[in-house]
Amino acid sequence: MATEATPVKTRRRWKLFSLEPQYGAAWNDLVGGLYEWRIWGRLGWQEIKRRYRRTALGPFWATASLGMFIGGMVFIWAPLFRTNVASYLPFLGAGLVVWSLVNSLICEGCTVYANGGNVITQMNFPYSILNYVAVWRNIIVFFHNVLIVVAINIALSIKVTIYTLLVVPGLFLVAVNCAWMTVVLGIVGARYRDIPPLVGNIMQVMMFVTPVFWAAGQLPPEAQPFLKLNFLLHLIEVLRAPMLGERPMLISYAVTLLAAVGGWAFAFVFFAHFRRRIAYWL
Amino acid sequence: MTSIVVDHVTVDFPIYGASHQSLRHALLSRTGGLIRREGERRNQRVIVRALDDVAFTLNNGDRIGLVGHNGAGKSTLLRVLAGVYTPNSGTVRVDGKISPLLNAAPGLDLDDSGYENIKTCGMFLGMSGDEVARKLPGIAEFSELGEYLDLPIRTYSSGMLTRLCFAIATAIDPDILLLDEGIAAGDARFASRAEGRMHALIERTRILVLASHSEALIRTMCNRGVLLEKGRVVALGPIDDVFAEYQRRNAEAASQAG
Repeated sequence: MATEATPVKTRRRWKLFSLEPQYGAAWNDLVGGLYEWRIWGRLGWQEIKRRYRRTALGPFWATASLGMFIGGMVFIWAPLFRTNVASYLPFLGAGLVVWSLVNSLICEGCTVYANGGNVITQMNFPYSILNYVAVWRNIIVFFHNVLIVVAINIALSIKVTIYTLLVVPGLFLVAVNCAWMTVVLGIVGARYRDIPPLVGNIMQVMMFVTPVFWAAGQLPPEAQPFLKLNFLLHLIEVLRAPMLGERPMLISYAVTLLAAVGGWAFAFVFFAHFRRRIAYWL
Repeated sequence: MTSIVVDHVTVDFPIYGASHQSLRHALLSRTGGLIRREGERRNQRVIVRALDDVAFTLNNGDRIGLVGHNGAGKSTLLRVLAGVYTPNSGTVRVDGKISPLLNAAPGLDLDDSGYENIKTCGMFLGMSGDEVARKLPGIAEFSELGEYLDLPIRTYSSGMLTRLCFAIATAIDPDILLLDEGIAAGDARFASRAEGRMHALIERTRILVLASHSEALIRTMCNRGVLLEKGRVVALGPIDDVFAEYQRRNAEAASQAG
């Protein structure tokens, strides 16, 4: 089984990746890791349980803080936008709940491998388990936060429609898209430690640039095409609209589906190139 | 057939965040792997060659002791065998189920109770949920931690933590066992019990690779040795020969220094 020993080249070359890709190993990791649902399911729950320990509210603290934020903001933003609180509140609530899911997955994605160093440097296992833990745990947190939306919808008697059922595919699309982003960001973040704060900063700006506090329709028509270039808009839309009993824009489904396929394809190739280097970076 | 074939394995560590000042000190140091700088004046990278063209074959019944100074590459070699590090060049072929016991049990969380950690670590080490449940009483009994197992493990002393890790790690039935020395510790009574369990485990294990600075430990557990020096294999063979070579080299270095 001797392969020719090739000395590692450290010179900069005009080549995107200087490593030979290992597609088989990447496939076994990403797909094999998915089958290890007992492990990532357990790890996700354990992290939630830890938050419940020694606190009365546990993860509901995040819900409470988000709820208070929404409750406070709505009284400032509704008058600013010259709308009434009753029509603005459901939009803001659902938007921020979905945003906090996407935001924390993207931000935590940058450190999934860096924080998993304890296990990565101990044994060979599917690293993707760490990605699935992050996604699963954030979905559990989302189900805590979603109570805010439920409460608002009941209080303001927002109608449950047939479109409400689209919450399920919406959440699935968000999870699948965020999962590949945690793979890519996790690799880059493990190598370059500037990435986590950088991504955190970008996401902070994106919160205001993406229609979360304001509706896309509030911008003039000539701005609409540019707005649709924002991937996060579509990611939010597929989950937020059904939560409000509305039908999401079809283009949002097209974009998020395409991104899920394309993103995973890219993440797979990226992972195949760099998986074996991750342990060296920790 | 359980075997490990290591073929011309070289492992280079890129060191990030090493300033050129600290680099200068590193170049002058005498322990550790070979440190070199590569590239033209810009884009210089510091690289430590932790393993250099290492090759050997291990078969059924081999109990290998890794011998060498700090930074000779013992732990790196164990991690290469465990599949943690993919070599920069060369190949490692492993036939058999590997169990690595390097620093601690993988997946340990300080805020979880002993029981919870047994389950998490057991699953990480490849046990199914049923298997963990079946082995749980044995692990609990062997650890002798009693009611402490209900408490978060951050309340444990370091000796108690070692007991727990050791109890979890030795409950599995691997073909190949990779051991870094830290794993055997605890108070005297536990140490003797641990030794008994360790010997029983080694009996069941087809191949053992143990890295340690303790000659006594290696002599009781191993039948062959590998002497590493700056990432190279300088001696390989029966354990007595390897220690003889190690002592000869140490004496030589001492006479040169003196």
